[in-house]
Amino acid sequence: MSSQLKSAFDHRPRSLVPNLDRFLIATSRHNASLLIFLVCCAVASIGAVVIRDMENTNAKTLEMYAASVRGLQNIGELQYEAQETRRSTLYALTTSDSNLQVEYADQSRNADQRVTNGIAEYTKQTREVEESALAKRLAMDWENYLSVRDEVLASILEGSIKEAVSYDLSGGVPAFERVRLDLNEVKRLYGEDASKSQARLAASSRRSTWRLAGIQGFTLLLSGAAIWAIQRSRMLNTIQLAKLQMEFVASVSHELRTPLAVLNSAADNIADGLIEGKSTLKRYGAILQHQSRSMSHLVDEILLFASTEDGSQKYVLRPLQLTSIIDSIVKATEGIIRDSGFVLELKVEPNLPLALGDESGISKCLQNLISNAIKYGGEYRRIALHAFQADVMQNSSREVCVSIADRGIGIDSSDLEHIFDPFYRSPRVSAAQIHGTGLGLSLAKRIAESMGGRISVLSEVSVGSTFTLHLQVAKGDDKKAATSSFRSSLSQKL
Amino acid sequence: MSRRMTVLLIALELALWPQAEAADLFAMIPEPSAVEQNTQADPLAIVVNRSNPVDELSLSELRKVFLGSRSHWPNGRRITIVMRDPGEPERKAILRDVCGMTEDQLKTHFLRGLFTGEILVSPKVLSSPIGVRKFIFNVPGAIGYLRVRDVDDTIKVLRIDGLLPDDKHYQLHIQSQVAME
Repeated sequence: MSSQLKSAFDHRPRSLVPNLDRFLIATSRHNASLLIFLVCCAVASIGAVVIRDMENTNAKTLEMYAASVRGLQNIGELQYEAQETRRSTLYALTTSDSNLQVEYADQSRNADQRVTNGIAEYTKQTREVEESALAKRLAMDWENYLSVRDEVLASILEGSIKEAVSYDLSGGVPAFERVRLDLNEVKRLYGEDASKSQARLAASSRRSTWRLAGIQGFTLLLSGAAIWAIQRSRMLNTIQLAKLQMEFVASVSHELRTPLAVLNSAADNIADGLIEGKSTLKRYGAILQHQSRSMSHLVDEILLFASTEDGSQKYVLRPLQLTSIIDSIVKATEGIIRDSGFVLELKVEPNLPLALGDESGISKCLQNLISNAIKYGGEYRRIALHAFQADVMQNSSREVCVSIADRGIGIDSSDLEHIFDPFYRSPRVSAAQIHGTGLGLSLAKRIAESMGGRISVLSEVSVGSTFTLHLQVAKGDDKKAATSSFRSSLSQKL
Repeated sequence: MSRRMTVLLIALELALWPQAEAADLFAMIPEPSAVEQNTQADPLAIVVNRSNPVDELSLSELRKVFLGSRSHWPNGRRITIVMRDPGEPERKAILRDVCGMTEDQLKTHFLRGLFTGEILVSPKVLSSPIGVRKFIFNVPGAIGYLRVRDVDDTIKVLRIDGLLPDDKHYQLHIQSQVAME
């Protein structure tokens, strides 16, 4: 018997640890995925910023190149047209034919119009003070030259060649020289502007490089932090798992030790021949029977938990009349309730609809909740079982509920989120020397969820707790299936 | 002195000879019969540079200008006369209505004036109305003549005896020949 128990005890952790591992690893994976997702998001956002930056730099380069080319082209055109203006004027000197002279004058005027337009365009484009001043000077010098040119042209057309040459030498040549110098100055400014743009571009490129390096560093840092967090999370999970395993082993050992001690003591007394009389022997038999059942119950619970954990426990859902199940549960727990000095207040609403579930699952679930209520029921020693139907707020359907309320020690709000975790034992409960494995509520919750239901809890410290099992109301199709199933089972019985 | 006069006369003859020949050539072109032609009056605008301060001239003043008797405008600018090629209807109208001379008489007049120094510059001859317009546009002291349709806002039209070409009693007209069926 002892060796059997030992082997069973040894076997339990081996079967549970992998399940716990899976659970914790799944949690770690979830955390890791989240972290990796965050890292990816951060890298993608920063990458987008860098790409935009590079695109801006590229656009600036293209713009600068285009502006330089356009600027130089414009300057070249201006220089050519200015020369053309002067050249055409001088051509007019070479002929005495008035028709040809008029033609040359016309060419000169067309060219000067293009120069004037070009200067106006340049003036519009200027941004800096120096450029504006130069544009103004160029326009003025060009105007001066044109006034001299007009006089020269007029003299040529009048036939006063000597006068025309004199005008040109005294006024035209210096005026045109000033224009030429101005245009060279404009060219120089364009060059300087291009150099400045180039310098800005180089600075922008350097900034981009630094940003890229920074982003790489940040990404590495973030990745390192993520890896560290994942490893840390895994380590914590492993530590927590080990701790839970230790607590579970201690708890189960403790739970087993009491009946084992009783069994040992009873067996020793019987072996030593200390038991005399049939009535005493009968009493010992009852003790042995009770303790062995208690051990068996504990082992069953652990095995059931293991089966719900690996998913091997399947429930066949069918419509059930909860009234009869509640009756049977009341009968089954009547003894333990009475022995514990508790009173069960039963309230079942009439005309409860059929609930969808598994009879054994519902029984197991409710029994666990009743056991819990007894364990933590405190001094008031009253348990209320209430069966009713309620609305489901999420989808405006209805559900069948069975609540089990006690007026015991209650659950601290910080413990509420953990009470359904496997092997979880509140520090307050451990301190109060209330024994348990931490499996009851976890098991009840898993069974409820396996049947498509859920368990909710309302609790207040020193006021009491109410656990409610929520089950789906069976629909029309389920009822037909239930009827046919009932008939087939009936025919089998008959 | 007599030698010098002889040289000048020869030069004058040489200058007049091509015009005389040209006049003979024109005379060789048969004139259309009166039955086939009809005349239509087309006003002739007297145009100057826009900077010219003069807006109006009398017909007699215009005659002085076109014959070179008047050499400068009131603003001191030298007057440059712009003529069309010989034989052009506009030129004929000016010769007839303003100068009151034939082509030969005009040539002789100018040769004599240039020779004696009474006229400073001989008229400029341009072959197209556009040329005339552009010349006047370019030369502040220029004066010429154009059909009204050839005038634009780059030049200024003078009033003659207080009238513009579109006015009723305007005196300068081109006698255009229109073919009749």
